[in-house]
Amino acid sequence: MSLATFENYFLPGNGREVVALLQEYGERALILAGGSFVHGLAARDLLSGVDVFIDIQKLGLANIVTDPDGLQVGAMTRFTDFEKVPEIQNDPGWGAVKDALSYPPAQIMNAATVGGSIAAVCPYFDLPTALLAVGGKVKVESNTGSREINLKDFSTSLFESSLGVDEFVTGLVLPQPVSGSVSAFIKLATNANDLAIVNVAVQINLDRSGVCRSASVALGGGVNEITLRSAAAEKLLEGQKLTDELMKAAGTAVQVDISPMADHRASAEYRSAMASVLTERALQRAIARLTRSS
Amino acid sequence: MKQLISLEINGEVHELAVAPQDSLLRVLREDLGLIGTKKGCDSGGCGSCTVNVEGKAVYSCMTYAMSVQDRPIVTIEGVGENGKLDPLQQAFIDAGAVQCGYCTCGTIMAARELLATVSSPDEEQIRHAIAGNLCRCTGYQKIVDAIKLAAANSA
Repeated sequence: MSLATFENYFLPGNGREVVALLQEYGERALILAGGSFVHGLAARDLLSGVDVFIDIQKLGLANIVTDPDGLQVGAMTRFTDFEKVPEIQNDPGWGAVKDALSYPPAQIMNAATVGGSIAAVCPYFDLPTALLAVGGKVKVESNTGSREINLKDFSTSLFESSLGVDEFVTGLVLPQPVSGSVSAFIKLATNANDLAIVNVAVQINLDRSGVCRSASVALGGGVNEITLRSAAAEKLLEGQKLTDELMKAAGTAVQVDISPMADHRASAEYRSAMASVLTERALQRAIARLTRSS
Repeated sequence: MKQLISLEINGEVHELAVAPQDSLLRVLREDLGLIGTKKGCDSGGCGSCTVNVEGKAVYSCMTYAMSVQDRPIVTIEGVGENGKLDPLQQAFIDAGAVQCGYCTCGTIMAARELLATVSSPDEEQIRHAIAGNLCRCTGYQKIVDAIKLAAANSA
């Protein structure tokens, strides 16, 4: 679909120039990373009044740094490069991220970026659900310098984030999972190239006796206006042995926290039912990795 | 406001004026007459507009022309050499992998990235590589056969 006529396309060379452009153009400006969701924004009428692109590909934000504390991932890192990071491939604690990156077709993997998928605050995306489960911080920059926002606090409402008008996302910090952590992600969609109807990611950590020390359960895909964590499911799991019955009960418990949308992809009732099913399956998938890695 | 940019397409550098919202697809088809790249859904869902940018398959409908300045682009018009078909094109003919043909160019461009990185892909790799390309005529078996054939012929 064709976009409305844009006034300008900027290719700034550093963060200061980006901030200056954001200050000059305010709500008229859209930060462009991979560009794979601009159509999605236009189709949802979220580009009215936007007529300036700020393309951040020349900022050198496509780098990935690995250190003992975890990963620092530049905002412009394409999915295809993120997927290849050995730690993402091999650490079962980041299994949900690996899973989420196994779904998109090549054309999206080659275009979509880590920063863009976060900054779009789209509840139907896959990677943000996985990232919310494994935990991390979003690095942002503005004229007052840089700060980090907890992923849990980044989304505020449908397509709205806690970013200020002159702030933009520069990267992501992913802390090294606690030893023994496992995680998994599952997406339900109509076809290989569609947004999720429901997606679920979990990360769990068990002690030696098999008791759950910590659990995070994240759900997306229109089960709520924003991708969210289910405190009810997490509370149920923590301190308990993860039996089949308990994992099924955790699936039921997510109902307390979600409030599914209805659209052309699925009814609210269907999303609701599938949220429970997928939560149980994601937990089972994660547990299977624990058995394998121990 | 249009800006003058240069795009390297099929080894040739083109200087042209494009608007900020111009997709690479629009520029290819309407400004340069390279209509082998097809316009299907025009929203990143069907794959018929797939081209290669720096060797990678991308949807040209959601690639802004200004974002690919100085990055080599290859379209279906650029895959053969000296009037000789690319092995993938020949294999699509030989395997009967074309019905209406609308998805064919995009599918070949997606398969091209696969064969450049994996010389003997298995069926799962092939199906994953073309998962972003929809065929509404016949299904995918003959397309998969064609890609296998092209890999075998190129080996």
